[in-house]
Amino acid sequence: MEFFERLKKWIGKQSRRFVFFLRNKAVGFVRGIFRFFRAIVLGVRNFFISIYKAAKEHPKSFRKGLMSFFLMGLGQFRNKQWYKGGIFLGIFLVFLIVEFVTSDYIYAPAELSQYPADDQLYFFRDYGGIITRGIWGFFSLGALSMGDAYRGITIVGEDARYSWMLADNSRTLMGEGIIIAVLMVVLIGLWIANIRDAYKTDLRIRAGEKVESAKEWVRSIWDRNFAYIITLPGAILVLFFILMPFLFSFLVAFTSYDAAITLRMDLIAWETETFTDVLFGGEPAWRSFFFDVLRWTVFYAILSSVTVYILGFIQALIINSKYVKFKKVWRLILILPWAVPGMVSLLVFSNIFGGTHGLMNNILADFGIVDNVREFLRTIGLIGSPREEGNIQWFTHPDNANLARAIVLTVNLWMGFPYFMLLITGVLGTIPQELYEAADIDGGSAPQKFRFITFPWVLRATAPVIITTFTFNFNNFGAIYFLTGGGPRYHTADVPNALRGIEPGQTDILISWIYTMAFESGDHDAYNLAAVYSILVFIMIAVVSLYYLSKLKSFWEEDD
Amino acid sequence: MIDMKMLKFKKGLAGTLIHIWLIISVIICLVPILWMLSAAFSDVPHIGRVPIIPNITELSLTNFEEIFTYRSRSGQMFPDYIRSFLVTLAVATISTTLVVIFSSLVGFAVTRFRFRAKKPALLLMMGLQMFPGFMGMIALFIIFRVFGWLNNPFFLALIYVAGAIPFNTFIVRGFMRNVPKSLDEAAAIDGATNLQILVKIIVPLAAPIMGFIAVNAFMGPWMDYILPSILMPNNETVAMWLFRMNAPDTQPHEPMWFMAGALFVTVPIMIVQIYMQKYVTYGLTAGAEKG
Repeated sequence: MEFFERLKKWIGKQSRRFVFFLRNKAVGFVRGIFRFFRAIVLGVRNFFISIYKAAKEHPKSFRKGLMSFFLMGLGQFRNKQWYKGGIFLGIFLVFLIVEFVTSDYIYAPAELSQYPADDQLYFFRDYGGIITRGIWGFFSLGALSMGDAYRGITIVGEDARYSWMLADNSRTLMGEGIIIAVLMVVLIGLWIANIRDAYKTDLRIRAGEKVESAKEWVRSIWDRNFAYIITLPGAILVLFFILMPFLFSFLVAFTSYDAAITLRMDLIAWETETFTDVLFGGEPAWRSFFFDVLRWTVFYAILSSVTVYILGFIQALIINSKYVKFKKVWRLILILPWAVPGMVSLLVFSNIFGGTHGLMNNILADFGIVDNVREFLRTIGLIGSPREEGNIQWFTHPDNANLARAIVLTVNLWMGFPYFMLLITGVLGTIPQELYEAADIDGGSAPQKFRFITFPWVLRATAPVIITTFTFNFNNFGAIYFLTGGGPRYHTADVPNALRGIEPGQTDILISWIYTMAFESGDHDAYNLAAVYSILVFIMIAVVSLYYLSKLKSFWEEDD
Repeated sequence: MIDMKMLKFKKGLAGTLIHIWLIISVIICLVPILWMLSAAFSDVPHIGRVPIIPNITELSLTNFEEIFTYRSRSGQMFPDYIRSFLVTLAVATISTTLVVIFSSLVGFAVTRFRFRAKKPALLLMMGLQMFPGFMGMIALFIIFRVFGWLNNPFFLALIYVAGAIPFNTFIVRGFMRNVPKSLDEAAAIDGATNLQILVKIIVPLAAPIMGFIAVNAFMGPWMDYILPSILMPNNETVAMWLFRMNAPDTQPHEPMWFMAGALFVTVPIMIVQIYMQKYVTYGLTAGAEKG
């Protein structure tokens, strides 16, 4: 009992610390935002001040910078650095050529006289290249949908004479827009570097310093920026396949993109309504269901992590005990559930429990104990319906939510405990034997040794893994989707109209609900709502992980 | 004397209880796996009727024959299952190669250099690991369609590579910290360039961790369902095939084939996992968890 007292105290202390951390961080966060904006404002001010100073103090060098300002590479040419100027000019030309090759500017005059625009003309929409059109599309998300009258014709979905007669696909425009935005950031960065370089080089020439040759320049870039250069390929991949999609889905939360939108027939618009509605008002169902699912998600994440930890601990202790012979054999068999890929075991279990004629029901029927088991489950509160007869509906009966949830946790325990068994076995081996010897001399009993030596040692060593297991389970899509598919469903009467078609199942955790909401609800897909929810999930996970990181000293250590 | 006997009895009792517990755990661990075996080698028409213990006298290879010959469209060169297997193999091979190259480059930069963007970059990578990955799926789908990359294993592999880099950076960082810097410093004094240090010294030293990363990268695609289900609609991977055999609303719905197909990929994965168990303690430093 004393043990539980201590555990309770420990948990209390940890949660107080966490709340304290949150309060502290909330203040720090607000302050951080202020500092961020102040830094931006100050940065911009200083930038202009330095330009002003440069123009005043070194007007001749400034003029070289100005040349590069108007045409990339021009200042470098005047500095007689042909190689540099060539490279900068080349980059600029590549952008220009890409813009022109993908545009229809040359057809514009003829078509404009044939189909004159009376009141409204979207010039970049009709004739722009990939860059101008991308920027236009990103801000407007399209202007014309099927059936609209424009320049004397009707906008169509396909088979048009000219491409501008086709309806806008808001989704594609948004995607292309983000790609272009990233490219533009790169271009602007190069452009600023090019101006600075022209100015700085001219200063050095005037100071009588020797200007490096092409070979030296390449060499110095290679040496000075070696770390950046070797990270570049990886960074580009992360930027393109992780960061940009992240940005995109963040932006989707601020659009009207849901199933009511038929691409080309309707336009997506920028709006903050869905986001503010979820947080502050609008449809109450969005919040109440969200909190229901959130409660189960947190419960599931905590309980699944704790149960696998405890069982893994017990198994590790047992296998380690002196009574057990053939330790390796036992361990080998017990880690088999961990060795089977998670998806396969989950699908196998869904076959065991799923349907009314799954393996479990058949076994129970063979033993003739279906009724006994059902009554037992009803007594302990796992089966809710008072009238259910026949085979047990593990995952399908709306009243059996607790049953399905219990099975989800049990299956997770089956899959997860061997990992902790292995981990803790490893940790047990690192406990110095002297500790136990000292305890023996003081006459410590076995339970005492466990409480004062083994348990604290293992807990300290494995604490980070418990946290990562928690965050992992918080987002453990497969554990729900492959096993129950989110079922059992809610009673239809309980589902408010606003959520018809995108309502969660009763075992759905946030992540699996978001997935079905965005991809598997057919006519009801709600991308914007899903994006809003996933931002909320991100914030929650980020808070927990930041807390964990703040504890993990090794992360902040410098690599020397 | 009585005390000694008592003690012996107590010890015997403890031993027996522990062994009973162990036997029960072993049975619980083995039953689902045995049942999977049993179902894979059985030709019982309904999956719920497959016995738990494989019936040695009635072993049948029907399921394997079916999956190795079934073609959803006639005139297809490979049967569906083989085809999905080859596609996944291609994805896994490409992503393993690139993951090893890029992770060692990034890991080298992060552990052996000081540069201004380092801390923000590490923080960013931490943050990226927290975001529910597939919410970027709509964006990835659009990018893939705009560039015509849908159904292309190479670009799917690129996503796996990008996804693996943040995590691997921390793994490599944790490992490289314990590799003494004196070696590459000595080489630098002898006039070795950064690139030479990387190829000749760091890579051989980091070989064990690179092996770990490579195995992980190779195993990933086999059991990933969400990404390919959206980005490879007409070019199934093994995970998609497995899922489809189980889903009641797609054709063909054949749980028995699933058991055979799953067994076929599970056995090699299990062997690798068991061999890799000594790496589990990396979880302590990097937070590795099996997905």
